[in-house]
Amino acid sequence: MTLVGSAIVLALMTSEPLSDPDAEARAQGLMREIRCVACENEPVSQSAAPIAEDMRARIREMVADGATNNEVRDWFEARYGAHALFRPPARGIGGTLLWLLPFAFLALGGVIAMLLRGRRNTREITPVEPDHDAGTQP
Amino acid sequence: MIELGHFAAFLALGAALAQGWFGLRGQRDLAGQMALVSCATMAIGFATIIVAFARSDFSVALVANHSHTLKPFLYKIAGTWGNHEGSMALWCLVTTAFGAAGAWLMRTDRPLFEARALGVQGLIGVGALVYLLFASSPFTRLDVPPLQGASLNPLLQDPALAIHPPLLYLGYVGYSFVFALAAAGLIEGRIDQTWAKVARGWSMAAFVPLTIGIMLGSYWAYYELGWGGWWFWDPVENASFMPWLIGAALLHSVIVTEKRGSFAAWTALLAVLAFCFSILGAFLVRSGILTSVHAFAVDPMRGSFLLAGLCIYGGAALVLFAFRAPSITGGAAWALKSREGALMANNIVVIVATLTVLLGTLFPLMAEAAGWQMSVGEPYFNLTFAPIMTLALIMLPVVQAWSWGHAEGRGWVQWAAAFAGIMAVVGVFGFGVWDLRTGAVIGIAVGIWLIAGAGIELWRRAKTPGRLFRLPLRVWGMSLAHAGIGIFMFGAVIETTERFERTLALSTGESAEVAGWTVTLNSVRSIEGPNWYADEAALVATRGDEEAMLSPQKRFYPAARMPTTETAIHKTPSGDLYAALGDFRRTETGQVWTFRVYFNPLIDLIYIGVILISLGAAMTMIPRRRRA
Repeated sequence: MTLVGSAIVLALMTSEPLSDPDAEARAQGLMREIRCVACENEPVSQSAAPIAEDMRARIREMVADGATNNEVRDWFEARYGAHALFRPPARGIGGTLLWLLPFAFLALGGVIAMLLRGRRNTREITPVEPDHDAGTQP
Repeated sequence: MIELGHFAAFLALGAALAQGWFGLRGQRDLAGQMALVSCATMAIGFATIIVAFARSDFSVALVANHSHTLKPFLYKIAGTWGNHEGSMALWCLVTTAFGAAGAWLMRTDRPLFEARALGVQGLIGVGALVYLLFASSPFTRLDVPPLQGASLNPLLQDPALAIHPPLLYLGYVGYSFVFALAAAGLIEGRIDQTWAKVARGWSMAAFVPLTIGIMLGSYWAYYELGWGGWWFWDPVENASFMPWLIGAALLHSVIVTEKRGSFAAWTALLAVLAFCFSILGAFLVRSGILTSVHAFAVDPMRGSFLLAGLCIYGGAALVLFAFRAPSITGGAAWALKSREGALMANNIVVIVATLTVLLGTLFPLMAEAAGWQMSVGEPYFNLTFAPIMTLALIMLPVVQAWSWGHAEGRGWVQWAAAFAGIMAVVGVFGFGVWDLRTGAVIGIAVGIWLIAGAGIELWRRAKTPGRLFRLPLRVWGMSLAHAGIGIFMFGAVIETTERFERTLALSTGESAEVAGWTVTLNSVRSIEGPNWYADEAALVATRGDEEAMLSPQKRFYPAARMPTTETAIHKTPSGDLYAALGDFRRTETGQVWTFRVYFNPLIDLIYIGVILISLGAAMTMIPRRRRA
C-alpha cells in the first residue's frame, strides 16, 4: 500500500524554511504569488507537484541571497513567462487596464452618486427614524 | 424507470410552456396550477435519476459514468448531482419548485402581476428544461450496460460537498424568481412598496442558502484539498461569489424600496443582474471555458447554449428595463446625507467590487483569446477587491445610524474621525505590539468598527436593557449579520496574513518545529475503507503541556484511480494545526515521508462570521408578530 504515488516522488525534495522569520514570511508570500507551471490553477504554495517544490526552493534561495520581491518576480517571468505570475505586472495596455479599471469604476461610481444625489433642499425633508418606519407600509 | 423520468421531464417542459403562456396572458390561477404540475412532474423525473443511482443501474449512461457499487450509499445519492447532467436536472427541479412555491405563497392584491411573474418563471423553466433535455440529458440508456461504474470523483465523496450543490442552486435559482418578479413589475411599470415587500422575501430566500452553500464549499476546500487555505480566488469560487455580492446589494436596496418607495429602478436592475450573474456562473463552471478558452471549443454545444440563454433572458430583461426605467419614479425625497444616500453610496461600491471580481475572472480568458497568456490570482484581488470592499464596510455603520430622508446629527466627517480613531488605536497595538501587516491592521479595525456599530445600533433602538429583547427580529437579524461580517473580517485578515506553512520530511521517530509546535512522526500504517485504501500517518504534536494526535491520510480510490488527501486538523483557541500527508521516498537510511503542516490562526472566526451572516439574514425573513 505504501507504493501509492511513489513513482513520482524520487525527484521530490523539501526545502528547509529560512532561519530568518521575516525572510521566510516574505518567501511564503511570494510562493502564493507565483504559479505552479505544471498545474491547472495553483500557486506553488499549494501544489504538491515536484516542480512546485523546486520552485519553492528557488524562491527561498533567492530571498536568502537578498533578492527583492520584484527581482524574484522578474526572474520567474523571464523564465516561465507572464503566465507564471498570479500578480500580473501592470505593464502594457492589458496590465494597465487590469489594474486601473477597478479604481476607474470606483471614480465613475462616485460621479454617478453625485449626479443622482437627492434634492438639495434638505430642510424640507422630514427625517424618519429607522425604528419608526414599520408603519409606513401601505 | 428512467424512461418514465424522461417522459415526466417532457411533461414538465410542456407544463412550463403552458405556465408561461397563461401567466403572460394574465391568468393567475391557470399559471399557478401549471407551475405546480411542472414542479411535480420534474420531481418525478429527478426521483427516477436518484433511484437509478441508488440501485446502481448501470444501463443508465449517467450512472455508469459516475457511480460504483462499492460507493457508500450517501454518496451514491449525492452522485446524482455530482455531475453535469444530474446537476442540471437539479437546476430544473429547483427552478420549477420556485415557480410552484411562488404560486402557492404569493398573496398580493395584484393577480395580473402575480400571473406575469409566474409566466416569466415558466419561461425560465422552459429554457432550463430545453437545455436539460436536448443538450445534457441524464436520461440516456446504454445499449450494453457495463458490469461496474466508473465511480464519482473521490474528492466529491464528502458530506459537505454532498449538500453544497443543492444549497448553491437554491441560491442561484432563487434569483430566477426574483428576476421573474422584476420582469413582471417592469412589464406593468410598477416597482413600488408592495412589489418590494414580495421581492425582499424572495431575495432573502435566495441569499441565505447561497451564503451557506458558498461557506460549505470553502470549508470543504480547506479540509479536503490539503492546501491550508479557505479561499483561493479560483474562477469557480468567483462564479458563486459574484451573484452573492449582487444579492447582498439587492437585499439592501430592496429594503429602501419597501420602506420608502425609492431606488425602485435600481432595485429592479439589481434583481435582473443577480440572476444574470447566476447564469454567468453556470456558464463559467459548466462550459469548460475556465481551464482554457480552447477547452470550450471542444464541446461548444453546452457553453453556447448557456451563453445564448444569458443573452436572451438577460438581454430581454435589460431592454424591458431600458424602456420602463424612465417612467419608474416615486418614493420620498432624500438628501445626500441620509440613510438612502449612504446606502446608495454603499451599493455603488459593492457593485464596483463585483465588477472587479468579474474583471479579474474574465481577463485571463480574454487575454488568452487575444493570444497572450497571463494569470490573475490572489494578490490581484487582495490589492483591488479588498480595499474597495473595505470602503463599503467602513460605510456600513453610517448607513445604519442615519435616518431616512435627511439625517440630522453626526455627518460623515465625524464618522470618518471616529473610524480614524479606532484605526489609530489598532495601529498602535497592531504595528507596535503584535507586529501585524498593514492589511491585517486595517481589517481588524474594520472588524471592531462593524461589531461596535452593530452593538451601538441595537442599543440606540432599545434605549433600555429591558427593551433589548423586545426588539423586532428584523433588527436583531440585521445586527447579528453585520457583527458577523466583523467577526469574519478578524478571521479572514489574520488567517490570510499570519498563516504559517512548512513542508516537512520525516522518517519514523523524527521531529520538527512548526509555529511553536514540535511535530513527531510515530508511524505510518496502511488502512482500508469501503472503496479506498490509504496510508495513515500518526503524528504527535506538542506545545508546552498541550499534546495533539494528528492522523492525516493519503487515500487511493482504485475505482477512480485517484489519490486524495485527508487532512488532520487539531483545533485550538488560537487556530488550527493542520497536517496533510504528502509522498514518500526511500533514502539510504530508510523511508522519508513528506508533510505539509500549517498553522491557520483564527480560521474558525471566518466560518462563525458567515454562519452569523446567514442566521441574521434568515431572522429578518420571519414576519413580525402583530401586536394587539
